[in-house]
Amino acid sequence: MIEFTHLVQNFTEGAREDMREDVVEAADPLRARVVSAITAQPQRTVTVLSSLLAIEEELGYIPPQAIEEVATREAVTVNDVWAVASFYTNFRFTPPNKHIVEVCWGPTCHLLGAQSLLERVQNALGLTDEGDTPDGNVTLKYNTCLGACGQAPVIATDHHLHGRATSESIDRLLTRIKDKA
Amino acid sequence: MTEPLKLSIDGVEITAQPGQTVLQAAIDNNIYIPYLCYWPGLKPYGSCRMCVVEVEGGRGTPASCTLPVTDGMVVTTASTGVSDLRHGILELLLSEHPHGCLTCHRIELCGPQDICLRHVSVVDRCVVCPKNERCELKDTVRFVGVNMESPLTYNYRNLQVETGDPFYDRDYNLCIVCARCVRVCEEIRGDDAVVMIERSGTVLVGTSFGTSLLESGCEFCGACIDVCPVGALVERDHKWDKAVKTVKTTCPHCSVGCQVNLEVDSRGSVIRSIGNWDSPVSVGQLCYMGKFGNEFVNKPDRIKMPMIKKHGELVETSWEEALGIIASRLPDYKGDAFSLLVSPRSTNEQAYLAGKFARSVMGTNNVDLSIDHRLELVEPLGRRLGNMAATGTVTELEDSACVLIVNSNTTEEHNVAAIPIKKGHKKGNKLIVIDTREVELTRYADLWLRPFPGTENALIGGMLKVIIDEGLQDAEFLATTSENFNALTASLASYDLDGVAETTGVPADKIAAAARYFAGGSSAAIVYALDNIEAEARTPLTESLIDLALVTGNVGKPSAGLFPLRPGANSQGALDVGCNPAYLPGQVAVDGTPGLTAPAALEGMVAGTVKAAMVIGDSPLFTAEAIHALSHTEFLVVQDLFLNDLAQSADVVLPMTSFAEDDGTVTNLDRWVQLRRQAIEAPGEARPSTYIFVELAGSMGVSDFGGDDPTAILAEIAEVVPAYAAINQESLEAGSVQLPSPDIAKIALTALPERSARGVAEDEFPFLFAPGRVLAMPGEEIEIIRSNGKNAIRREDALEIHPEDAATLGVAPGEVIEVATLTHRIRGMARTTGTLRGVISATVLFGELATALDTSGDCDPMLRVPGLHIMPVRVEKVLS
Repeated sequence: MIEFTHLVQNFTEGAREDMREDVVEAADPLRARVVSAITAQPQRTVTVLSSLLAIEEELGYIPPQAIEEVATREAVTVNDVWAVASFYTNFRFTPPNKHIVEVCWGPTCHLLGAQSLLERVQNALGLTDEGDTPDGNVTLKYNTCLGACGQAPVIATDHHLHGRATSESIDRLLTRIKDKA
Repeated sequence: MTEPLKLSIDGVEITAQPGQTVLQAAIDNNIYIPYLCYWPGLKPYGSCRMCVVEVEGGRGTPASCTLPVTDGMVVTTASTGVSDLRHGILELLLSEHPHGCLTCHRIELCGPQDICLRHVSVVDRCVVCPKNERCELKDTVRFVGVNMESPLTYNYRNLQVETGDPFYDRDYNLCIVCARCVRVCEEIRGDDAVVMIERSGTVLVGTSFGTSLLESGCEFCGACIDVCPVGALVERDHKWDKAVKTVKTTCPHCSVGCQVNLEVDSRGSVIRSIGNWDSPVSVGQLCYMGKFGNEFVNKPDRIKMPMIKKHGELVETSWEEALGIIASRLPDYKGDAFSLLVSPRSTNEQAYLAGKFARSVMGTNNVDLSIDHRLELVEPLGRRLGNMAATGTVTELEDSACVLIVNSNTTEEHNVAAIPIKKGHKKGNKLIVIDTREVELTRYADLWLRPFPGTENALIGGMLKVIIDEGLQDAEFLATTSENFNALTASLASYDLDGVAETTGVPADKIAAAARYFAGGSSAAIVYALDNIEAEARTPLTESLIDLALVTGNVGKPSAGLFPLRPGANSQGALDVGCNPAYLPGQVAVDGTPGLTAPAALEGMVAGTVKAAMVIGDSPLFTAEAIHALSHTEFLVVQDLFLNDLAQSADVVLPMTSFAEDDGTVTNLDRWVQLRRQAIEAPGEARPSTYIFVELAGSMGVSDFGGDDPTAILAEIAEVVPAYAAINQESLEAGSVQLPSPDIAKIALTALPERSARGVAEDEFPFLFAPGRVLAMPGEEIEIIRSNGKNAIRREDALEIHPEDAATLGVAPGEVIEVATLTHRIRGMARTTGTLRGVISATVLFGELATALDTSGDCDPMLRVPGLHIMPVRVEKVLS
């Protein structure tokens, strides 16, 4: 059911009927998840940015289908959506690895030794920068502030915060992630 | 008119209009403030900060391009503070732009033949930049006076030059991120094919996921190239060539009549075509044809000498001998055994002399343009409204509350006329498209009505019925200007909504919605080309469209009216000056029987009644059948640019001047008379057709035929055509002149014929195939493949079929079907998403066409743009 996107633009009325999610799902499950992420937004005003955030939240990245869906629903071109999406460094466009490790390098965490913790994480994962491990298990992200300065230094694994992190606690967390893989 | 404001810039007292910016006021008063991102016609952007100024009593240094003028403002553009600031900003800009070309100490010393050896590294050399000597950044650097003796280092972006797309090269290493290209694409073209991507230090111009322009919805109009201040965006053809002069003329490709600046190099070739921003008709815009389709004038295989057929071979000869042969043969065919077919690109002067030659020398009315120029679109306008032309002005469509497009692929065939329509739609005006095919404007349309081919008139009748039933007509307008309203109302009795819905296949609620949109706003315009409508059905449909405009009071007021989009660059002018079998100069009907139209003349040639013919130009437009018909004549004269199939079969071949070598005038679809100016020398002994007519008239004994000087012919046209009375060379030199539209007197409404049922398809080809072409297909699986360094689109063809038809044929979605005409077969995957029974539709991307045009070896590829013709077909299921 790829063709509905352009039908939508043509038949502004009745467009939603063409977008029955069961029809979409059969052909492209990823697109179906995109569509449900967009349509499930609770707020009144749905924008390009809110839709992109909802998709990133659901999938962990913005696939090409998402750009197309958002463009169609907001009646703008794919390029317009891309202009917004590419502006924000928090959006990524390839699937992330299974687990996400975020190391906070905000001022408080930095003062309390985030740099050495970061090096520890990088050594453990075999990375030299942010990014994905080649084994497909972990994605490492720097975070400017995880919002728990009282617990600094902080790291997060799969969006769970771990405060007062030490080299030992990091090793434990990473081992746990590895075991889950 | 509001009071002008007074302000002073650098001590000079000037006046400005409220709403202007300081920069605009300065430009209007010949005060130069450097700028890079500003462009007239685009919204203020303020990104380059080159135009910073100081305002007395104001804070900081605002950019003058975003600063509105106020009364009594005192502006300083070049104080030490401002100059230092501007200097610093420019150095920052240069930290990302290769600038050996800007800082080289030999900058004023090198001549054209000098080879740069070791002063500047290879990638930096001025000679490797395609914008060398026409770079706005370089001019700015010179003006600001950045130190040229100590070259700064810079950060080269190291991006690959994008050369895969048709027509353009994009080198974003040279981009200064002024966003002019992005803004022109968004604000003026309405396409958003390129956008600003990423941000801060890495911001650049690009497309979604970095796809090629073929996928991004680019219509290859080249507007972005025209506004690029640096070498980032350039035309691939003649990329490094330098212009020695620029000539403003009128584009030869369609009846919109865009003004184009032709750049000519020292060898006398047309190297670039650039939209003219002063034109009231096109306001700086061109399309893929006008921008990239003028290369044909430079081709080395142009015919350069007259040729005559000797023993079956064409041999070169002199004009005297060639014209002598014609003058000795033609008298035998005086009268209706002769037919003159004239290029639709001819100037008014050439067309006028053609009509005069046929009538006064050959004694026949058999003179017509060599294409189907769809006279039926304007004949009813002439009969009922007094002038066979559009009633309004195309650029005003931007402010029409509703635009109704009827069977027109406007974006491709009359591209620049679509710009105000798209702009208006962006502002919130309604757009209704009536077309069975999917064309670009259907994607923007608030309503796309897709009638069964041939039922368009019923659809218009249905809209009229809704308007009158709901009392939406303009009663005041009808009372003062129209007659026969009751007869029209009575004739609509058979156009009940449900019946019309059944006949057309368009849902009743959509027809009603369209009628309400059209009649509900303050103004409405009808733009119609009537593609795929049989010639005999065009007249009644046009009559109905006129009724629709009259009933809603949309004639004779701004942003409203009827806009027939006819093929042929000067089909309007040719009609005005009598290059038509049925009309003399001034649109005066011929006394007695009209002459033969081009199609009738071709039939006459096959039947043997037309024995001699003269064809002036652009014969690639002729089909194989037409060439076959012309080869039946006893004596055939062809004047053309290239020795094509038709010229090969002629008895005498004469070399012709192209549009770039002619002087004269042309008239566009909304009645603007504009100049064609000679830009280059004609090759060899090529001459305009006027020369032939004058010479032949002389040697055939007509002494008072007049000369071939275009100015004199224009003066004669002004005498015999009342509408052109005020037209003369001087007024046209000053700019385009629009002919008046006649005042509207009492106009009779025309009753519609009884609604007829849908025609029954022929058994052998029971389906109709409706091809479409669009700019972008979000959501479609499209693959870009590279072959020979060029991008090409590869995608699976999808054929849309109505679910019930699919069931009858036993076709399931995803199965392969084949549609076949007598000569062609197309295979594709079936999709049961068709909305009309009996119609198979397929839609392709414009990019495929652009690629084909770019790589074409054809002498004049833009003439070969395939139209979207609806054809009867047979559908077969392909068994795997």
